[in-house]
Amino acid sequence: MTYIEVDGLSKRFGDTVALDDVSFAVPDGEFVIVLGVSGSGKSTLLRALSGLLSPTDGEIAIAGESMVGPRPEVAMIFQQHNIIGDMTAYSNSLSGGVHRSGFFSSVLQLQDDAEKHRALDALDTVGLLDEAEQKARSMSGGQQQRIGIARALVQQPNVLLADEPVASLDPGSAQSVMGYLRTASEDRGLTTFCSLHQVNIARKFGHRFIGLRDGEKVFDGYRDDLTIEVIDDIYGDIDTEGMFVRDDGDADAPTDEVATS
Amino acid sequence: MTPDTTDSDGTAGAFDADTGVPDRIADQFENIRRTRRRRALGWLGLFAFLAFATLQAFAATELLNPDARLGTFTDSLTGFFPITSYFGVVPFLDLGQYVAFIRQENLLYDPEIGGLLFQFPPNPTDVYAFFFRELGIFQIFGEAGITLAMGFVGTVLGFPVALVFGTLGSERVTPFPFNFLFRGTMSFIRAVPAIIWTLIFIPFLGLGPSSAAIAIAFDTIGNLGRLFVDELEEIEDGPIEAMETTGASKPQVVFFGMLSQVRTAFIAWTLYIFEINVRIGVTVGVIGAGGLGYVLASQQNLLRFTNMMATLLAIFFLIISVELFSQRLRSRLRSDEVQMGIWELVAGFPRRMAESMLK
Repeated sequence: MTYIEVDGLSKRFGDTVALDDVSFAVPDGEFVIVLGVSGSGKSTLLRALSGLLSPTDGEIAIAGESMVGPRPEVAMIFQQHNIIGDMTAYSNSLSGGVHRSGFFSSVLQLQDDAEKHRALDALDTVGLLDEAEQKARSMSGGQQQRIGIARALVQQPNVLLADEPVASLDPGSAQSVMGYLRTASEDRGLTTFCSLHQVNIARKFGHRFIGLRDGEKVFDGYRDDLTIEVIDDIYGDIDTEGMFVRDDGDADAPTDEVATS
Repeated sequence: MTPDTTDSDGTAGAFDADTGVPDRIADQFENIRRTRRRRALGWLGLFAFLAFATLQAFAATELLNPDARLGTFTDSLTGFFPITSYFGVVPFLDLGQYVAFIRQENLLYDPEIGGLLFQFPPNPTDVYAFFFRELGIFQIFGEAGITLAMGFVGTVLGFPVALVFGTLGSERVTPFPFNFLFRGTMSFIRAVPAIIWTLIFIPFLGLGPSSAAIAIAFDTIGNLGRLFVDELEEIEDGPIEAMETTGASKPQVVFFGMLSQVRTAFIAWTLYIFEINVRIGVTVGVIGAGGLGYVLASQQNLLRFTNMMATLLAIFFLIISVELFSQRLRSRLRSDEVQMGIWELVAGFPRRMAESMLK
């Protein structure tokens, strides 16, 4: 059953066309990877899906309801983490659920125990339960991104959007963050959109792939359809040799290290 | 260097017959010299204008033919710095006179209140009386305590209003024309100095520390609120967007997305304004609101310059103590290091002091 429907989505910033007539439908529970070079419209697509940007043309419907602004059931994870450095991991995690409480109870952290258990459970999911009382600022980039995932989970969303969640992380942290992201989305049955520019990571974690190039959708298909020709098409003239790893290949082979754009 | 440099346009290869410098270089040299000369003339004109304006300002301030009385001033200086002779021969600054006045007028310490706390063996009834009946935490410091309390009350009362006005004055919280309602109010408060606010509140609370404290609170709203607005201009959009996507309400986005980014900065600014408020406490004291400033003014009226100097020393001591305390706290807040516990802060002081002396 179709859960997210994007129909003729276009977004222009002045003369710049960021998205040009993009349409697709995603059923409930799919893990979708959005591929493309920098400036291909990945971020714009995810920000439009989250309701942070309103489209110039076209429509986005999630669970049959048109997106006109941010909604609690759609959570977002950012490349720059965007967690609050001055608060602890626990407080950051708890802040994902503030839409369920009033202003003063959220400010004074007077939520009920169930809410607080949820925040700790989310930290447990991303493997940070023991670091709950640490200041977020003092933690590593990978840990900060995992706090971002925990916050998104506490929001109790149906849709998880991740805008280049591993772009600023080292390869090891990137693998572990993607692992936590997939576990969380499988365990909780979330429909997930994740934009990436590392093809090797994309192939390792994705079920379905949407390729963007200059704001246009150039590919939409499942793992078996993602051939070297398709990658070439998405990444244009860039030398894609070494970016592509077959299923039988080792995703951690040294040739993959050039797999960025 | 051969004279026949092969330039495509032909002209640039020409030489000046006298100096042997290529025309291209000579042209550029002349060009630069002209620019420099024009710039020098500009500076000269600016200095001339400044000198002229300064002369006019001297005239307006009556400094051109001042009513100078150097003798009187020298006399007062001997009052400011009383000289005594040790053993009848060695002339020396008579610090004893300062200390005598500071003790006589309770400028830094009130023995009546302090006596409740410091006695041996300690008397529990008196200690209770010190904290809860006499409310002596500020009063133990005598006149300095009154000045300190004026700055403290002003900061504590002004802070919440400054927080509300500063937040609502930010364009990110209140849309453009409406945020000027709050910014304008703060500008108006700032336009009136604290000392004038004290005059305004005298009919309400009488001439004394109470109207001074309220006046300082007003001043705090204007100045601290402005600092808050400026600080909020600098924050990042990321955490705000992140809170928006969680479906948080507008006040929640403001608190979690914006204010939590500037929390340490706000505390640091508030401490800075507290420092300034204690100084303002001295100033408003001069017009009769009490504390060290009042003592200073009344001794000046009596032309007792030695006592004035003693009061100045007390003021110096108070301000330096407040600044030291506030700056230590601020640098502690701003540092990312693991913070020391209170016990470590107190118990480790001699060792850290010794370490910093050895560096």
